[in-house]
Amino acid sequence: MVDESGQLYTIEGFAAAMIMLFTTYLVLSATSVYTPGDTHISDMQLEQIGTDALKMMNTPVSSNVKSPLQSIIETSNATTAAAAFNTTFLNYVNSRAGSNPDNLHYSAAVTYRNITAGDTTNNYPLASNGLLTGGEHPVRVTEWVIANIKLPGRNTVEPRAVLVEVLLWRD
Amino acid sequence: MAGLNEEAQWIVLMGFVVSFSFFFLAMILNQSTVVGQTTAESVLEFPKNDIRDVRSVIIESVRLGEPGEVHNDIRVLSLSRKGAVVSYSHPTGLDAYTHIIIHYNNGVTEYNENWTSS
Repeated sequence: MVDESGQLYTIEGFAAAMIMLFTTYLVLSATSVYTPGDTHISDMQLEQIGTDALKMMNTPVSSNVKSPLQSIIETSNATTAAAAFNTTFLNYVNSRAGSNPDNLHYSAAVTYRNITAGDTTNNYPLASNGLLTGGEHPVRVTEWVIANIKLPGRNTVEPRAVLVEVLLWRD
Repeated sequence: MAGLNEEAQWIVLMGFVVSFSFFFLAMILNQSTVVGQTTAESVLEFPKNDIRDVRSVIIESVRLGEPGEVHNDIRVLSLSRKGAVVSYSHPTGLDAYTHIIIHYNNGVTEYNENWTSS
């Protein structure tokens, strides 16, 4: 007759092994660090600085003058407008405390409603200091502006709400 | 069980207790990462700047006397470029103040405001 107590030891061994394996699996799967939010933090910072820069540009210094951004959009000469936008915008987004300035790139456009084409939207380029080649990872920031302009397809200068859209990226 | 050393049963029982405590600790750790994820996602999804911006342009347009095409500009551009339904009106004749009723909905976040000039 074989000593049957060995079976009990075997069952205990199995139970203990299962518990340990199961616990190890749970602990390992729980402690894997998984923070998808981290990857977006730099995007959020870029978005915030771009939004703030546009907001500052769209704030008049007093109640009876136009904001710098409105003046830029109302400038009919595209080269002058681009130069003015470029100087002010880069001054705002690139300034850093202390050390050297930052090196951000942007591409700005103005989007408007095309009344004659059945309420479609069109845009025209405003300014840029870099070409998007496709490898960049830009964020989009926007700012509403009410400006007195003569948009394509219209006969007169009139107050219109346009959306300034800026793609902003860091090389 | 006769003839076996029964001390071993205590060892197995303690093993169970330790295993379960590990189990619950693992559960708590598991949940904590999910909490961080959902918080980060909801922060990212909330269109704070969009709402502030569209709100300020609406107030400015009413202050300018709602010139001709501006109302439709805001509505159409919001829908096509910002993915948000924006609707606003400003009832007049109620009292001496300016009132604007603003509605904003981008499918995830809804924002309504009854703005009154002071």
